Amino acid sequence: MKAILPIVNDEALPVELRDLLNSPDGTTFEQALDVMVRQREQRLFRALGQLARDLHDAVRRVGGELAHEGVPGTVADARQHLNEALEMSAQAAHRSLDFAERMRPQAESLAQNAGEMLKWSNDSDAAGVLAREAVGFAVNCSEGLADMVMAQSWQDLSGQRIKKVANFIGAVESSLLELVRLTGALARSEAPASVVRVSSQEDADRLLSEFGF
Amino acid sequence: MKILVVDDFSTMRRIVRNLLVELGFSNPLIQEADDGQNAIEMLRKTPVDLVVTDWNMPNMTGIELLRAIRAEPAMKGLPVLMVTAENNRDQIIAAAQAGVNGYIVKPFTAITLQEKIDKIFERIAASGANA
Repeated sequence: MKAILPIVNDEALPVELRDLLNSPDGTTFEQALDVMVRQREQRLFRALGQLARDLHDAVRRVGGELAHEGVPGTVADARQHLNEALEMSAQAAHRSLDFAERMRPQAESLAQNAGEMLKWSNDSDAAGVLAREAVGFAVNCSEGLADMVMAQSWQDLSGQRIKKVANFIGAVESSLLELVRLTGALARSEAPASVVRVSSQEDADRLLSEFGF
Repeated sequence: MKILVVDDFSTMRRIVRNLLVELGFSNPLIQEADDGQNAIEMLRKTPVDLVVTDWNMPNMTGIELLRAIRAEPAMKGLPVLMVTAENNRDQIIAAAQAGVNGYIVKPFTAITLQEKIDKIFERIAASGANA
């Protein structure tokens, strides 16, 4: 008795596939299927290769644009600028602290001396009025200078954020570097090398320069 | 009272020093270190009565310094006050579990610093009295 094969008649399938599915020859079927899968894979690899080349070009363009714009010239420069901003803010805060440390003993001394003078004068005479004013002023100065010292903690808080951003830029730089390596390798149709981490800024710069950065 | 102020930002060390002087502590008895590693080395050479430390520092962070202090028999009871911009709940819990004596979130005021320092020494005095 003849085996009844289900006849595939799906119009959506390509003719060769329909014929194959209806063919009783198992070996031919498998070989034909292999050919079809390989064709499909090759199309996929070609598409991936194109994608990698496009990505590589895009990365190179970004690198070129970064290098030509000048401000900030490179990622390393951007980090350098942040460190300079950090350093300048620290200097500015120290200058304010210098000022406060210089003035506070003077304010305290004025408050004490004027306070002594108050003991020997009446509220009604001019010296007494002046001494009272001086005490008030000196005390206010002292408190204001203490506030000013405290206010300099902005440098620490903003500085920590600047440091975090600088570290983030460093991480972006490493990622970009790996991307350049990867796309470079793919665009030359080579297998992607295992991820090699660079150990210094010099290594990073040297490597980037190979890719036109 | 000898105090060691640990912070990688020189401005912050100076601000804490100013506040401590304002609170009546002796300026010449206040020492400074710029990270945990230097701090622990200084502490091994010269014991102090209180450590005021930041959290985020290179080489050795504040929490690592705290753990290192608690791990050394000679200084395991040393009071440590953490002054940090880290206000993450988990970090505060980690500091508490590591045996921190006080925790101040930046920015802070001289009054807060005074309160926390007073509390630390009140507790130490109380535990000493109970012992």
